[in-house]
Amino acid sequence: MSLSEYFELLFTDYTLRTITLGTAVLGAICGMLGSFAVLRKQSLLGDAISHAALPGIAIAFLITGTKDANVLLLGALVSGLIGTFWIRGMTTKTHLKSDTALGLVLSLFFGFGMLLLTFIQKQPNANQAGLDKYLFGQAATLVEKDVQLMVIVTGVCLFVLLLFWKEFKMLLFDADYTMTLGFNTKFIDILITFFIVLAIVLGLQTVGVVLMSAMLLAPAAAARQWTNSLGIMVFLAAIFGAFSGVLGTAISASQNNLSTGPVIVLVAAVFVLVSFIFSPGRGLLFRELRFRRNRRDLQLKKTLQFMYGIAKTHENISHPHAIRILNNFQGFTKTSLRALEEKEWIELDKQLWSMTDKGFDAAQDLYNQQANND
Amino acid sequence: MPLKIYIINKQIMTNPQIEIQLIAVVVAIACAIPGVFLVLRKMALISDAISHSILPGIVIGFFITQDLNSPLLILLAAFTGVITVVLVEMIQKTGLVKEDTAIGLVFPALFSIGVILIAKNANDVHLDVDAVLLGELAFAPFDRLLISGMDMGPQSLWVMGVILLITLGLLFLFFKELKVSTFDTGLSSALGFSPLILHYGLMSVSSVTVVGAFDAVGAILVVALMIAPAATAYLLTSDLKKMLLLSVGFGVFSAIAGYWLAHLLDASISGSMTTVLGIVFLLVYLFAPSKGLLSVLYRQKQQRIEVSLITFLLHLNNHQEENERHVNHLNEHINWQKVRSKSVLELAQKNNMIGIENNIVSLTDKGREFTNLALEYIITNKDEKIEHMKEDFFLFRG
Amino acid sequence: MIDRKLAVSVDDLTVAYNYKPVLWDIDLQIPEGVLMAIVGPNGAGKSTLIKAILGIIKPIAGSIAIYNKPYKKQRKLVAYVPQKGSVDWDFPTTALDVVMMGTYGSLGWIKRPGQKEKKASLEALEKVGMLSFKNRQISQLSGGQQQRVFLARALVQDASIYFMDEPFQGVDATTEIAIINILKELRKAGKTVIVVHHDLQTVPEYFDWVTFLNVKKIATGPVKDIFNDDNLTKTYGINYKVAVNK
Repeated sequence: MSLSEYFELLFTDYTLRTITLGTAVLGAICGMLGSFAVLRKQSLLGDAISHAALPGIAIAFLITGTKDANVLLLGALVSGLIGTFWIRGMTTKTHLKSDTALGLVLSLFFGFGMLLLTFIQKQPNANQAGLDKYLFGQAATLVEKDVQLMVIVTGVCLFVLLLFWKEFKMLLFDADYTMTLGFNTKFIDILITFFIVLAIVLGLQTVGVVLMSAMLLAPAAAARQWTNSLGIMVFLAAIFGAFSGVLGTAISASQNNLSTGPVIVLVAAVFVLVSFIFSPGRGLLFRELRFRRNRRDLQLKKTLQFMYGIAKTHENISHPHAIRILNNFQGFTKTSLRALEEKEWIELDKQLWSMTDKGFDAAQDLYNQQANND
Repeated sequence: MPLKIYIINKQIMTNPQIEIQLIAVVVAIACAIPGVFLVLRKMALISDAISHSILPGIVIGFFITQDLNSPLLILLAAFTGVITVVLVEMIQKTGLVKEDTAIGLVFPALFSIGVILIAKNANDVHLDVDAVLLGELAFAPFDRLLISGMDMGPQSLWVMGVILLITLGLLFLFFKELKVSTFDTGLSSALGFSPLILHYGLMSVSSVTVVGAFDAVGAILVVALMIAPAATAYLLTSDLKKMLLLSVGFGVFSAIAGYWLAHLLDASISGSMTTVLGIVFLLVYLFAPSKGLLSVLYRQKQQRIEVSLITFLLHLNNHQEENERHVNHLNEHINWQKVRSKSVLELAQKNNMIGIENNIVSLTDKGREFTNLALEYIITNKDEKIEHMKEDFFLFRG
Repeated sequence: MIDRKLAVSVDDLTVAYNYKPVLWDIDLQIPEGVLMAIVGPNGAGKSTLIKAILGIIKPIAGSIAIYNKPYKKQRKLVAYVPQKGSVDWDFPTTALDVVMMGTYGSLGWIKRPGQKEKKASLEALEKVGMLSFKNRQISQLSGGQQQRVFLARALVQDASIYFMDEPFQGVDATTEIAIINILKELRKAGKTVIVVHHDLQTVPEYFDWVTFLNVKKIATGPVKDIFNDDNLTKTYGINYKVAVNK
C-alpha cells in the first residue's frame, strides 16, 4: 500500500479510520500534557511511569482474567500512580536523588512486570496472547471502544485544562507565590500529575511502554521552540502530536513489517529536529545567522572607530587618507569598507578614504556609549 | 543445532544450571561497579538512555559480523552508547530544552531506529525485539566458545568475564581519581585528573558493560542491575569502598536468588532477578538503620519533640514575666496542640530541666545550663560545645 | 512607635528544615508603616522567616498574626516578591502575563482575569518603568528588568504589607534606585514593607527600621537607634568589623 492509497482508504476503510483517529487523539492529548511535564522538568517522569504501569496490567489480568482494555488500563493507572508517588517519597524522605529514584522505579517495576508476564504465559489455561502488545504497542489492535475512551479522556482533560488554566500556569511558573495567594498547590499539583499519568496509560496500548515517554516529550519540546506563550505552546504541541500520530500510522501502514510506535516516535523526532534548527526565534540556524551579523556589525564599528581615531587628528575630519594606512588594523576588508560606504559613514575614492560628517557622529556616539558602559 | 546438542551431551561435567548462575553473577558484578559511580554522579538515567540507544549499534554490528558475541559488535554498539551521551550533551548545550528533556528525546529516537532496522531486515537478522528488551539467560549456555574443537564454556560467560576483568582493572588503577572526581570535581581538575577523560571513560565502561550484559538480561533490566544494587548500598553507607562491596554483594545475591525464583515460578530469569533486587531495595528502603524510611520518620518525630522542648526552654529563658511562663501559655501562645505541650512538659520534667509551681514553669539550674549550651551551638554551629548532649538528642546528630 | 498599630506580629516562632533548626523562638513585632530590612549572615534564616510568615513553610511552633488575625484570613493584605532565582525565567510567558498573576489571588479559583485586571497590571508595569516591555518574553529581560516585573506583580496585589526576598540581588544600579524609590513611595502611602537585604552599607540610606537575625532574633527597631557595631557584631560574629572597615 502506498501513502496515497492509504489516504484514499482512510475514508472508506473503517479499521484504518479508527486506528488513525486513535493515534491522532492520543498524539494530541500527549502533546498537551507533555507541555506541562516538560515545563515542570519532569520529562523523564513519563518514562518511569510508563514502565511502572506494566505490573499493573499483569496484576489486573491475573485478578480478573479478562483482556478487556479498560480493566487492564485501570491496573496500569494504579501502578503508574504508585510509582509516581514512590518516586516523590524517595526523593523527599531519603538522600537518593531524583535520577536514581526514577531509574529504580522504572527498572524494578518493569522487571516485576516481566516476571508476571512470563509467569502468565506459562499458565496452561490463560488466553494471555496480546498482553505483550503493551511492550511496544500495536496501533492495529485499536478498536472503536478504545478510541471512544481516548476521546472522552481527552475531552475531560481539555475541560479541566481550560477550567484551571490560570492555576496551572501560575503553579508551573512560581509554586511558592501561588501558595501565598491562597491556592491549594497540592491539589493543583496532583491534578496535573494525575492527568499526565492518565495520558501515559492511555497510550500504552498504541505506542507501548518503551516509547511512551517520547510521545509525551517530543511534541512539547518541538512546540516550545516556536512560541513564547504557554497557550500557543500547548496548542502547537497537541497539533504536532496529532500529526505525528497520523503520519506515523500512515507510514507504518504503507510498509510491511513496520510497527506503528517506533514510526510515530521517529516522525515526532523529525518535528523536534526541524524545530531546533529552523524556528525563527530560538532555532540554531537563525541564532547562528544573528551571531554572524552581530560579529560583522561589531567589526564595522571597530573599523569605524579606528578611522575616527585617525580622522579626529585632522582639523577637517573629511580629509582623505590612504587605505594603506588601515593595514595596521587587521579588521577591515574590501567588503567591510564598502558596507561602511553604503551606510554613508565614509566616502571611497580609489585608494583613498575620507570620513563623512555622518560617520564622524556615529563614531562619536559609539565612543560615548562605551565610556558610559565602563 | 545437532552440533550443539552433541556438545552438550559430551560435556558431562558442565551443568547448565551452574553455568547460568555463573553468568548471572558475573553480569551482576560487572553492572554493579559502574552503577555505583553513576548513582553517585547523579547520572543513573544515563544507563537507561545507553541501554536503549545501543540497539541500532547492535543491529548494524550484527549486519557486519553476523555474531552477537563478536568483540567488534560489542565495540560498535558501545560506541553508539557513547555517541548517545555526546548527543545528549550537545542538545543540552543549545539551551533549547532542559537537561532531562534532552535525554528523553535522544534515546527513544535511536531505539526506534533500531527497532525499525530489525523489522525491515527480519529475514536476515536473527534478533527478536522482545529478546532485546528482556534477554534470555536460559539460552546463554547453548552458545559455546569453541577453540579448535575444544569446548571452553559458554561464550557469554567469556565475554562478560573479560568485561568484568577490564572493569576491575580500571577500578583498581583509577580508584583514587574516580573517588576524587566523583565527590569533588573542582579538586580533581586542580589535582590534574581531567574530569572529562574520567567522565567519558566511565561512559565507555558503562556502554561496554550494557552491551555485554544486554544479551543476557535485556535492555531495561540491565538498568536495574546497574542502579538498584548501588542505590540499596547508598542507603546503608556513604563510604565508597563499602558501597562498592555492598552493591556487588546485592548483585550476586539477587542473581542467585533470582535464578531459583524463576526456576520455582517457571518465569523469566532476568525478571526474577530484578524482582529480588526490588524486594531487597524495598526492605532496605524501609528498614535501613539511619537512612531508611522508618528511621527517618521516627527521627523526624523525635526531632519535633526535641525542637519543641528546646524552643520551650528558650522561651522560659527569654521571658521572666509570669504570664509568659504559665502552663496554659504553652497552648495559647506557642500554638501547640494539647497533646504535644503535655509531652514536652513531661520530657522537660523527666530530665529535671524545669520545675512547676502553681502552674508557673521555671527553669532549673540544669535546664538553664542546657539551654545556654544549646543556644551557643545554634548560633555558632560549633560541634564541640554539645558533644555530651549528642547522646541524648537526635537533633544534634544531623 | 508606641501607639502604632502592629502590622505583623510573630510569637515564639521556631522553624526546622530537615535536620537543622533554622529559626529559634523568634518574637518579632513589626509596626505599621515601616520600611524594614532583615539582615543577617548567610544561613541566618532570613528567607525562612518570610516564608514562615507567609505560610509557605510550616513552623514547628509559634504563631503569626497579620493585623491581629491569622495569615489565612488576611491573605489579601499581603504581597510577596520571591527571590528572582527561584523561578524558571525561560518559562513561555510575557512580562504582562507575569504581572497579571498578581490579580489571581483576588480572583480566586477558576475565574479569569478581565479588562479590569489587565488595566491594573499595565498601570503596575508603568509604575516600575516597564510598560514598553509588556509583551516581551521574560527570558529576554535583563536581571534588573525581571526584578521590576516581580515588583510590579506584587504592586498589582494592592496589599498593605509587602514582603520582598533580596530584591536588589543581581540588578543594575538604575533598577536598584527605581526599586527603592517605589518602596519609599509605598511607605509614604502608609504601607509596611519588609525586605530581606544583604548589603549592610545601604541600610541607613534605604530603610528606617531593621531586624538583625541569626537563627535567633538579635535586635529589632529603628535604624537610627539600633544599627550599630554592637548589634552587627552580635549578628555577624567577631570578624564582622574587619569585613566592613575594609
